[in-house]
Amino acid sequence: MSEKEHKVSRRQFLTYTLMGVGGFMVAGAISPMVRFALDPALQAGGETEFVSVATVDDLTDEPQRFDFQLEIEDAWYTSEQSRTAWIYKDGNDIVALSPVCTHLGCTVNWEGSEDHPNQFYCPCHFGRFEKSGQNVAQTPPTRPLDLYEIEVRDGVVYLGSIIQRRSV
Amino acid sequence: MHRGKGMKFVGDSRIPAKEHRMKNIPKDYSEYPGKTEAFWPNFLLREWMVGAVFLIGYLCLTVAHPAPLERVADPTDSGYIPLPDWYFLFLYQLLKYEFAAGQYTVIGAVVMPGIAFGALLLAPWLDNGPERRPIKRPIASSIMLLAVISIIFLTWESVAEHDWEAAAQQGAIVEDIEVDETSEAFEIWSMQQSCINCHGGDMLGGAAGPSVFQSDYTKEQVIAIIKEGAPGMPPDQFEGTEEELETLAAFIANDGQVPDEDEE
Amino acid sequence: MLQKIYDWVDERLDITPMWRDIADHEVPEHVNPAHHFSAFVYCFGGLTFFVTVIQILSGMFLTMYYVPDIIHAYESVYFLQNEVTHGVIVRGMHHWGASLVIVMMFLHTLRVFFTGSYKKPRELNWVVGVLIFFVMLGLGFTGYLLPWDMKAYFATVVGLEIAEAAPVVGGFARVLLAGGEIIGAQTLTRFFAIHVFFLPGALLGLLGAHFYMIRKQGISGPL
Repeated sequence: MSEKEHKVSRRQFLTYTLMGVGGFMVAGAISPMVRFALDPALQAGGETEFVSVATVDDLTDEPQRFDFQLEIEDAWYTSEQSRTAWIYKDGNDIVALSPVCTHLGCTVNWEGSEDHPNQFYCPCHFGRFEKSGQNVAQTPPTRPLDLYEIEVRDGVVYLGSIIQRRSV
Repeated sequence: MHRGKGMKFVGDSRIPAKEHRMKNIPKDYSEYPGKTEAFWPNFLLREWMVGAVFLIGYLCLTVAHPAPLERVADPTDSGYIPLPDWYFLFLYQLLKYEFAAGQYTVIGAVVMPGIAFGALLLAPWLDNGPERRPIKRPIASSIMLLAVISIIFLTWESVAEHDWEAAAQQGAIVEDIEVDETSEAFEIWSMQQSCINCHGGDMLGGAAGPSVFQSDYTKEQVIAIIKEGAPGMPPDQFEGTEEELETLAAFIANDGQVPDEDEE
Repeated sequence: MLQKIYDWVDERLDITPMWRDIADHEVPEHVNPAHHFSAFVYCFGGLTFFVTVIQILSGMFLTMYYVPDIIHAYESVYFLQNEVTHGVIVRGMHHWGASLVIVMMFLHTLRVFFTGSYKKPRELNWVVGVLIFFVMLGLGFTGYLLPWDMKAYFATVVGLEIAEAAPVVGGFARVLLAGGEIIGAQTLTRFFAIHVFFLPGALLGLLGAHFYMIRKQGISGPL
């Protein structure tokens, strides 16, 4: 019997089986490791805790800078990091803006430039934002400043995680 | 291999042109039916099937027995009895014997392993006869057998002599224990001078004994140990009433806190 | 498509003879368990290599989380074992694989010894094999310290004491291995470097030589 009479030769059959067994071995050995490596990407984002930052009485219509400490848990390493927020009262609402410029991550300042009163100003590339956080057209940033989640309990302002906005 | 004039190459490289190459067809094994076989795919398939079964067993082992992790290294803990990984146990055990320890440590630590591994490395020249069957070269075979048997024996002895329970305890990860020092039970403890001598005034271990909270015993077990003693701990050292003993035992079994009544 | 890519590469590099040489060499009957069941003893070398491959892979993945630093080493191992999904399995594979490699290599060595396969002309391959054995023991010894738990620390203390017992060079060897008088921060980073870079590098070179010689000389004949 010549091998050519069969549709699949013995050699081909063995090669396919070999590939199957080889595939099983690779999959068996690698899949736990791949899951292990992918773990951070597949982990659901943890709940951020709210941190008390200021009392409502401190706030004015003018954005004020508040620094606060946040406990950051980075795997086996826990550390305190300081964060900053620009907070002001908008009628009955409270607005807390992140000072991170949405252009390249520098830090913006309220009225940081004398030429641009009533605006947030980023010294790196002269990005500007309105009081509401809206980016000023014709400056580098392409979206408004991020907001902090806010909770008010017993006259104390608590800030939570950051909310990104497309527009105001 | 083609050589000489008339060779053509790919561009200006050393790679021969297509017409000079070997044909991409498998070798013909029909002349040795069923005996000698091709490495790929015949032999490799057999090898990998063994490998696949091996892998399944291996994965089952990892799931059934997680890799052990003891508490974080504490270089100041002089009471810890160390143990190397099992494949070094024979060497570790060798160093316990008189002829290989003390002033002769160099024999056990350097000379004997040196000779053994040196001989292993030089085996082809020490046993250089043409004979390959183990039975036909009795000296080499018996030395090897002897070496294997002594390694197994030494490993066995080491395993048998090691106190595995104590080892598991001394390495166990201890939770942070907060002892309620205002409780009645702690007051009872403070009266027990012989207990304090070993286990310390704070109950967390002292000169000669470990923390009393180290093992997860029930109240009854704690009472039994206090009354009857334990390896390295004398019996009947408690001075006080039966009631006080029970209060203290419950306190110890509950990791240093007064137990809630409804838990009992 | 695949065929075209293959042809394109083959035209330029003439790769057909390379893989044909690996795939098409004949394996003799006496190592084939289908003919003599006792031929299963010839599997140990292959299994050693298989576990070695798993060790290399799982080790590479473990370093995604592990930190070789006395403050964080233990915490990171605890984290990867208890917090990361499948961490138990990956660390377990590396832990038990270390033992399995030794077992398989021991059996492989005994097979080679008792079939007299190390005799002329294979002396050199035996020497390389014994060197691989030493490298594996070194990997076991240095890897044992890395989790920085109690048994890791004190086993290393004992191991370095044994090294110190060597005459003349003992003290020097101990300090060199420990990276100083204290067994601590520098010992851990040193053992990490040896475990992850130096010994695996040596191992790969030796394995290459081992396999090249087997291919060149063929498996030793039947007894």
